[in-house]
Amino acid sequence: MKAPLRILVVDDEAIVRDSLGGWFRQDGHTVDTADSAREALRRCEPGRYDIALLDIKMPGMDGLELQSRLMAADPGLTIIMMTAYAAVDTAVRAMKAGAYDYIVKPFDPDDLSLLVKRAAEQRSLRAENQRLKQSLETASAPPPIVGASPAIKHVLDMVQTVSATEATVLISGESGTGKELVARAIHAASPRRYGPLVVVNCGALPEGILESELFGHEAGAFTGARARHQGKFELADGGAIFLDEVGELSPKVQVELLRVLEDKAVTRLGGRAPVKTDFRVIAATNRDLQERVKAGAFREDLYWRLNVFPLTIPPLRERSEDVRALAEHFLNRFTAAMSRRPIRLSEDAAAALAAYHWPGNVRELQNAIERAVVVTRGDVLETAALPLSVTSGPPRPVSGSLEEVERAHVESVLRETGWNVSQAARVLDVDRATLYNKIRRWNLKRPIDEREQPQPGHNGR
Amino acid sequence: MSESSPSRAITAVELHPLGGLSTERAREVAARLSRRIGASCRLAEPANGHALLLPGRDQADADALLAALEADPPEDAVRLGVTAQDLAIPIFTFVFGRARSGGQAALVSLARLDPAFYGLPSDEDTLIGRTVRESLHELGHVAELPHCERPECLMRFAGSVEKADLRGALFCEACAARLPDWLRAGRPDQNW
Repeated sequence: MKAPLRILVVDDEAIVRDSLGGWFRQDGHTVDTADSAREALRRCEPGRYDIALLDIKMPGMDGLELQSRLMAADPGLTIIMMTAYAAVDTAVRAMKAGAYDYIVKPFDPDDLSLLVKRAAEQRSLRAENQRLKQSLETASAPPPIVGASPAIKHVLDMVQTVSATEATVLISGESGTGKELVARAIHAASPRRYGPLVVVNCGALPEGILESELFGHEAGAFTGARARHQGKFELADGGAIFLDEVGELSPKVQVELLRVLEDKAVTRLGGRAPVKTDFRVIAATNRDLQERVKAGAFREDLYWRLNVFPLTIPPLRERSEDVRALAEHFLNRFTAAMSRRPIRLSEDAAAALAAYHWPGNVRELQNAIERAVVVTRGDVLETAALPLSVTSGPPRPVSGSLEEVERAHVESVLRETGWNVSQAARVLDVDRATLYNKIRRWNLKRPIDEREQPQPGHNGR
Repeated sequence: MSESSPSRAITAVELHPLGGLSTERAREVAARLSRRIGASCRLAEPANGHALLLPGRDQADADALLAALEADPPEDAVRLGVTAQDLAIPIFTFVFGRARSGGQAALVSLARLDPAFYGLPSDEDTLIGRTVRESLHELGHVAELPHCERPECLMRFAGSVEKADLRGALFCEACAARLPDWLRAGRPDQNW
């Protein structure tokens, strides 16, 4: 049997209270009755009743006034108004004010039964919706933005301010500072949080593919376009689109993007009719867009379209007081992910981390801690577990030709990133192909880290 | 709330013909009901006159009739009023029947169970069959059974004659298990 309902019947006529009370009890529900609005208010407290049936015409406070007071006292309460034919207009007013429905006296027994059944179903759907929203919020909550420095507190304040709005946000900051994390935090706290956050890396794709990804295409639009493909702007309908590395867009795509932002509609490649889509834009760049505008590489009109709410993420070296908290945060995350017992950060290791200048920012710190967790055997993360780039002190100044300086810098970044070419490319702000070319040209070789060598007496695994 | 006296040993249902119900129909209902329940079904003398009508409506006041049937109850029987008049209570446009959970009596109207009420050809067998089923439903309330969610159960709420026909003729297993001896089916295989 379905869960019985807790029903409150409010009517000044005893016959109505008694008849409805008896009738609902026959259905297994729990019923309380009140002969006046005052009595109803005395009985009602949040969560005590599921449904209240209120007579509209009662001496003293009428049903409409009672409705508004009950809704204030218990916003979850489902209210059904009971009325005579002559007062149907009033009942309609009650519904506009938030009553679930009304029923005209005398009731057809079937109508009342259906009405209560529907109200119960609506309540259970609402409760289920609430539960799903809660689990969705828990599941899709972005990782926390860690830190207590004034710089990061300012960022958090800005995130809070802008999330409640629909404003376009332009996040700038060096590679690895956490621009996507901030974008996710803005979306997660926004009214659009139950809609999607569609992420597009504008710097990672060639122009033609990026156009198709952003705007979609119709079947036959180009060789290989076998079926219609919805673009990211369409997929972001009801949510937000995160345009990462927006400074890398080609002039052609910049024009197309500007049109989409102005029209709030996209025309798929090979398509004719624009498709309306409702999205919010959060863009990010590690470039100085204003400089690129001056250099003629970025459209000024697009820049102003995107730069509605600018938000700058400070590099990690400017908030070194957050390094320890971040390191401990990553330490906890990686030990949990690797099912390891908790590992503590030694004071020496913490000091080494704080002294380093972190050119790869938080991403570099995260990689360093992940690597350190892998190599740490005990329950303390010592300095020896950290990458050489972190522990070998500040980089030495180099002199020589431009190429020599460049080579030394590339080598240094590769060392700092543990020869993670993608990460090093991001730090150097070049694409991976360019970096590979330089590595080949200078015949750079990955040094063998002593700590990765098999130890005597161990089998090397 | 139950008001039945635990000391009462019910062995009969006393059928009271009301509101101009013909003796033939009263006898037929009593005969078919006797075959469905453990208790015997005896006929009381027809009541004279018509019941009090609800103000402004051409319908008998079901609560007033039920109260009259419950007054001064016999020691060994539950009273069942069967009336030809249309029944209602102030808040409902009509009721097929009326009973209080754990009360002393039940009341059923033939008016809206008759195919002729809906402009269909009269069918005596359908009318008596529906009356017996509605009587069993209301007597179920007297035996403190609430409405049941199972579609096939006689204790399911029905607000229209179509729904009353759809719910079938028998108590579901769970409701049947709660029936007192006087209401327990004599021959459950009987098609009603």
